[in-house]
Order: sequence, then structure tokens, then C-alpha cells
Amino acid sequence: MNEFKMYHPLVNFSYFAYVLGLACTGMHPLMLALSLFCSFLYMCIINGKKALHSLAFLLPAMILTSLINPLFNHEGMTILGYLPDGNPLTSESIIYGLCAAASLVSVLCYFSCFSSVMTSDKFMYLFGKVIPSLSLILSMTLRFVPLFSERLKKTAEVQKCIGKGLDEKGVFRKIKNALRILSITVTWALENAIDTADSMKARGYGTGKRTSFSNYRIEKRDIAVLLYILFLGTYVIIGNISGQTDFSFYPVIKSTPITMYSISVFVSYFLLCMTPVIIELWEVRKWKYLRSRI
Amino acid sequence: MKRITVLFLTLLVIFTLTSCNDNTEPVPVEVPEGKPEPVSAEETVITDKELTCTLSVRCDTILDNMSDFDKDKTDIVPKDGVILGETEVVFYEGETVFNLLRREMKKNKIHMEFNEVPMYESAYIEGIANIYEFDCGELSGWMYKVNDWFPNYGCSRYKLKEHDKVEWIYTCDLGRDIGGDYSQRNGKDNE
Repeated sequence: MNEFKMYHPLVNFSYFAYVLGLACTGMHPLMLALSLFCSFLYMCIINGKKALHSLAFLLPAMILTSLINPLFNHEGMTILGYLPDGNPLTSESIIYGLCAAASLVSVLCYFSCFSSVMTSDKFMYLFGKVIPSLSLILSMTLRFVPLFSERLKKTAEVQKCIGKGLDEKGVFRKIKNALRILSITVTWALENAIDTADSMKARGYGTGKRTSFSNYRIEKRDIAVLLYILFLGTYVIIGNISGQTDFSFYPVIKSTPITMYSISVFVSYFLLCMTPVIIELWEVRKWKYLRSRI
Repeated sequence: MKRITVLFLTLLVIFTLTSCNDNTEPVPVEVPEGKPEPVSAEETVITDKELTCTLSVRCDTILDNMSDFDKDKTDIVPKDGVILGETEVVFYEGETVFNLLRREMKKNKIHMEFNEVPMYESAYIEGIANIYEFDCGELSGWMYKVNDWFPNYGCSRYKLKEHDKVEWIYTCDLGRDIGGDYSQRNGKDNE
């Protein structure tokens, strides 16, 4: 179902770079509404029905953020009332809070999509040549954390079997057992590090220039989608810089006038954000067509 | 496990409560001879006795420094720089300049934002009518003057008397452009 994942890592990375950057920095309500809609839609397409469970976390976060802003920011011309501490409650600060909340939630949705599309080996492939030593350290660290926690769990289970687990009675006994389990795991981690170093040395690490294997090839469709993303992304960024999406909240709400240029910027932003969704729908349509011919 | 968690949490709560310290050392204020001493904001007793004084709020120094002023706010600056013209207002005995300003701004539906500064034991006015501190450069902000003297303590420590003339003026130069910088010159008048 996740067809965008099959594309070259460069395509994936450029899409997420543009879209996350624009979602973080844009403050125009229309752009935020578009990015919120597209990010949520993409998250639903990737995760299926489980994405609706994340709404239970996203909606309270959005409401909380939009309520916190008026408590601390009292600028704005339209005063709705006075808060208990004496400062005014303005509608501009409420609207700013809503926009900030929308920006936060759309970035969260995009990061969830990012984690499922850009796996660590794709990341390594992209940055391996640019910063080889840092990428090696990153990949080893990323591998180490789940390994360590898995080992800790196993050790705890073993200790439980011989009666020195964490559910013993007595505070001091529990602390003693916990410290023993931790000490075992740390010793194992240090020995494992030495083993890894020996194994890398035995396989010739450091003797010559480091190469890395990757089975990502650039295909024609990758180039086409990459050009599409780059073109739309640059167009939107130029539109932002030239002021088409300017929006100020304080002291009065002011937005740039609607012209053909600004409409084109918003439409191209929408098309940019919808790129993976369009790709998914295109693939589904092609699959249905091919199946109907059998 | 549960008992350890409970023990740890109670220790944490006790630790955080005892380490909270609200007694920041207040800054001592040296008032020039003949000028009113500051009062403590908590010890003011407001009676029902009505007295009168005058209040005005001006920001005409911005008109001389429009190039430094925040570009988004140029159309909310009044053309003559007067937010509230000199008006006679009623106040209650025991009130401070801050109480008066807050009530009058609410009555005239003019926006005003403040916050409390424990170090100076007073309220601090951040903005009036959406014109905030630092909107006209880093040296800009609101200052207040009573009977042609700029008090060197906060507005919620100045106790009002009958027929006082209270002026709130926006400065773009730390008080130098409105004659309110003698506390920086250490009281020397011949400069």
C-alpha cells in the first residue's frame, strides 16, 4: 500500500524536506489548513484504520496548544474580555493559537509518515557519502538502543526465573536486584562493543576506502517525480519569499490580497503536499485496471 | 515496585516544594528629597473616598521615529500621538497609579498589558493600545510621570494624592527624549 516508499530515497527525502520546512515556517491559515489535511490524509493512507487512534492524541494536543496561547499573549485590537490576572483576552491571540496548533499537529503527522517511509538504511544511503564517519556512528547508535533494551528485558526475565527478579518483596531487595540486572546488561554491552570492534577489524575495516552496498537504482519515474517535487517546492518557496503568503496576526489580522499569483502559490503547495497521495491513488487505479484485464 | 515509586514521588514533591523560593531580594529605592516614598503594593488600603486627578497617555515620540517603528503597527499609531487626552478622572483614596491606569483603560476600552515583577515589587506596563515596549527600537517603552517628576519605582508603588497630574509617555530612547533620564544621570541636573 505504501508505494511512495518504493521510490528512490532522494525523492522521499526531498519531499519530506520541503513539506516539513514549509509546514514549520508557514503561518498563513490556508497553507496550514492544506498541510494539516494532506498530512492527516497521508498518515491515514499509510497506517490504515490505526491512524484514527492517533486522533485521540492529536486533537487534545491541538486544543491545549490553541488555549495556551491566549493565556500568555495579550496582544490584539479586538478585546473579548478580561482574564482573571487582569490582562485582556484578544481574538487575535486565540486565532494565532489555533494556527500554531495546526502547524504543530501537521508536523507531528508528517513525522509519523516520515518514520514509516524513510527507514534508517535509506537515511544512511543518502548521507553515507557526504559524512561517512558520522553516518557510521549514527547507524551504530540507532542499532544499539533497541538492542540494549531488548537485552535488558531478557536479563530481567532470566533473573526472575532464578528468584532474583524485580517483583520480590522488600524495597532494598528490589533495588539490589535492579542494580544487579543493570550491571549485567552494561557488562554485556561493553563486551559486545569489543566483539563488534574485533569483528570489524577482522573484516578489514580501516584498511582501505569504505564502500557501502545499496540496492537503490534511479529509474525514470524517480527522475520525473523528483523534478515535479523540486519545481513545485521552489515555486512555493519563491512565492513565500516574495510575500504572497504573508499573514500577520497582531495588532489586526492582515493577509496579502488574493491575486492570480497567490492562488497559484497555494495550488502548487497543495499539489506538492498531495504528491504521495496522488502516487498511491495512481498505483491503485493501475492495479485495478490490470486486474480487470485478467 | 509500587512502594518504591510512591516513596520516590513523595521525596520528589517534598524536594520541589522546599526548593521553591519566592523571596527574591527586593531592590532598594533611593528617592530624591521632597518626593513621595514608594508604598508596598500589598499594604495599600483603598477606601471609598473619591478624589480627582488628571490622566493622559501619549506616544508622540513615535511620530519622530517612524523609521524604527514596527512596520505592522504603523496604522494603529494615533495621528497626533495622543492615546488618551488629558482628562480629569476620579480615583479612590489609597489607590496607586497602576490601579488608576488599569481602571481607566478598561473604561475607555483601550488595550493594556502588564505583568508583575517581584524584584521591583511592582507591576510593569508592557504595552498600551497595542504599542509595546521595544516596538520602536531596543530603547523604547512606557514611562510615567506624576507632577512633572518621573518616579524611580514602579507604578503600583506610587500612591496617588488629590490633584496629581499623571502622564504616561512612550519613550524611544530610554527616557532621554522625554526628559526622564535623571535616574541614569544619578540626579545630576547640569548635563
